[in-house]
Amino acid sequence: MLNIGSFKTKTCSGIGRRSFLQMSGAIPFGLGMSGLGAVTADEVDDVVARAKSIVFVFLWGAPSHLDTCDPKPDANSEYRGPFGVIPTRTPGVHFTELLPKLAQRSDKYTLIRSHIQSAPGHPDGGTVALSGFEENPKPVKPNFGSIIARHRGFRGKLPPFFSIANGVVMDGGRRIEAYGGGEMGAVYDPFMVGASETGEVNIPALALMDDVNPLRISDRRTLLQKLDAVPRSLESAKFRDWNRTYQQAYGLITDPTARQAFDLTRESKQTRQRYGQSVFGQSALLARRLVEAEVPYIQLNYSRHVEAITPGFEFGWDTHLYNFSLLQDQHCPIFDRAFSAFLDDIYDRGLIDDTLIVCMGEFGRTPKINVRAARDHWPQCYFSMWAGAGLQTGRVIGESDKNGEHPVTRPITPLMVGTTIAELAGVDSQARAEMRVLDGGRVIDELF
Amino acid sequence: MSCFRIMRQPSLVCLASLVWLVCLSVTVVQAADPIRLTHDGRMKFTPVFVDGGGSLTYVDFENPKVFRLRTMNWESKETKVIHEAAPAPEFDPAYSADGNYFSFLRATGGLQVSLVIRNRKSNEEVLIPPEPGFSGYRTPAIAPDSSHMLFSFANNFGQDIFRVEMNGQGRTALTGAKGINVWPSYSPDGKKVLFTSTRDGNYELYEMNPDGSDIKRLTDSPYQDIRGQYSPDGKQIAFVSHRDGNAEIYIANADGTELRRVTRHEERDDYPTWHPDGKHLVCVAERDGSHDLYLLPLND
Repeated sequence: MLNIGSFKTKTCSGIGRRSFLQMSGAIPFGLGMSGLGAVTADEVDDVVARAKSIVFVFLWGAPSHLDTCDPKPDANSEYRGPFGVIPTRTPGVHFTELLPKLAQRSDKYTLIRSHIQSAPGHPDGGTVALSGFEENPKPVKPNFGSIIARHRGFRGKLPPFFSIANGVVMDGGRRIEAYGGGEMGAVYDPFMVGASETGEVNIPALALMDDVNPLRISDRRTLLQKLDAVPRSLESAKFRDWNRTYQQAYGLITDPTARQAFDLTRESKQTRQRYGQSVFGQSALLARRLVEAEVPYIQLNYSRHVEAITPGFEFGWDTHLYNFSLLQDQHCPIFDRAFSAFLDDIYDRGLIDDTLIVCMGEFGRTPKINVRAARDHWPQCYFSMWAGAGLQTGRVIGESDKNGEHPVTRPITPLMVGTTIAELAGVDSQARAEMRVLDGGRVIDELF
Repeated sequence: MSCFRIMRQPSLVCLASLVWLVCLSVTVVQAADPIRLTHDGRMKFTPVFVDGGGSLTYVDFENPKVFRLRTMNWESKETKVIHEAAPAPEFDPAYSADGNYFSFLRATGGLQVSLVIRNRKSNEEVLIPPEPGFSGYRTPAIAPDSSHMLFSFANNFGQDIFRVEMNGQGRTALTGAKGINVWPSYSPDGKKVLFTSTRDGNYELYEMNPDGSDIKRLTDSPYQDIRGQYSPDGKQIAFVSHRDGNAEIYIANADGTELRRVTRHEERDDYPTWHPDGKHLVCVAERDGSHDLYLLPLND
């Protein structure tokens, strides 16, 4: 089932969707997405772009590096944690027993164990992780995806930057500042889509079009009047942003091939099962479909919220409490299955050479177990996984100290992450300078 | 440094190989095919029988924001949410042997989890709030004679098993806060408590007297041995072990001897609980990426 805005069309029956298609054909705008012009490309040179698509898997809330990909079995009990370690396919490299599938696939990605960043909290740490810069002083720098979106422009049938979650990523009630375009403007914000654990895809922007939903308006003249009236009903200052969202949403509805990217029912039952019946699993499958649709940048969020067990919030990786039980019961089984399936799929479908996959949280968690027998925030050391775009795989870059507290090799910063992503997407140093983004950033040379 | 790691790993790899060989020799005790009890595929946790097996309560990960307590009528297999109006996650259900008490956990704020003890006859509730800040209880267990109960709670950088009266008073730490101590389970006669602890490094099963004395280790594996439960006659224990590479269910004698493997599947088998007849287990099994409750018939 595809949930567009606040109405649903049953793809198995085809009735709603077919009706909508027939109706949309009568709408006189005749707008192809290429004609919108709301997001125009800067200088684009595809020749140097090793990655047509980037998938940034954001483990929002910050997973413990010691309990996942950087275990310290020889540390003392104040640090070590309760999990056993298992060998990976990479000689000498071990994970905890919580990630057996990813351990078996370590030849498909390169692991970095020497990340650091500067912000200790989620809102500010999230902004640094997604933009490379702290949120203050203002203005906020753009999300890596917004930079790629501006560089590539709106050339396909789909928007150039997607964020997959059931809403904008939040810490409590606060939106992460670098969720979108920042100082470049909201026109470079991501297009939001969400998936349920059973694969229903939700496109919140299409809720804007409820008043012009052909399923509700059978009289064509009324429909046209409604369409004409929408801009006037909005504040002029907000109109441009809204107009861009509206146009994108309109394009999705009116273009059947664009819309197919969101229809997970087109996947075989076996494929959907491989990703697992979870929000993250089905979101990862949606990300793979967006890669096939050649969307330039996809931010695949593990959850919308960071909070692990808080009324009204999705379960993120912020495990100040119950760290060990939440990881073993819920987070790691979901992540291990879904991300492994995603890697397999990207490889098996021959997409890996043109796709860059980066997986990481905003920081790590305290190596020393806290007073609640859990782990708190730790921006001084954490990990990431990199695959695709011609990068070598099956390696470990960087190393943390004996307790996982600090890198003992050259620290890798979020600005370096963003710069490397941009470089692989064809946004070279000249383009970055012209756009005035990622200033001072260096590429992670060790990856090449 | 990678060379340093390689030098240190052979013992671990050898140990893992040894465990694998031991696993291959473990007897499989599942008598017949599992019977699937639920079909929604959502994640589930901690099933527990109540009212002599008349119903089964479990935790349903209903949506990305909420754990809900759900009960299944054992005869009809129909399920319903226990607290329809619950606005927050509820989990870790436990019942007294006579069914008169029901205890569970309720999220009452940001990373704040309270312990609820309800008298099912009078509907009176005792709510034990967590400490200020991030704080919460885990895994309550009620004594067979309903005189007191146990739960796990953070204590001095570890997690201790505490004992309280049913009115929530008289809190006493039992396990000395050495490592993480969790998942207490009373033997049917109330003379022993089975629990999981990391006191010796990783999660292993231990037993102790109800006052915390005479702690004995029952399992020894480099991987997790967790969630132990006594059989209705007290002679066996069922638990989850990752010793074969993923979560599988095992049975052993109550003293930890004669290990027998119950499940063998590349996906997860977890949260075993004994049916009161002692001839079946119910567990949460992941199959084709979905999680459902299954009934596992056992050999005699």
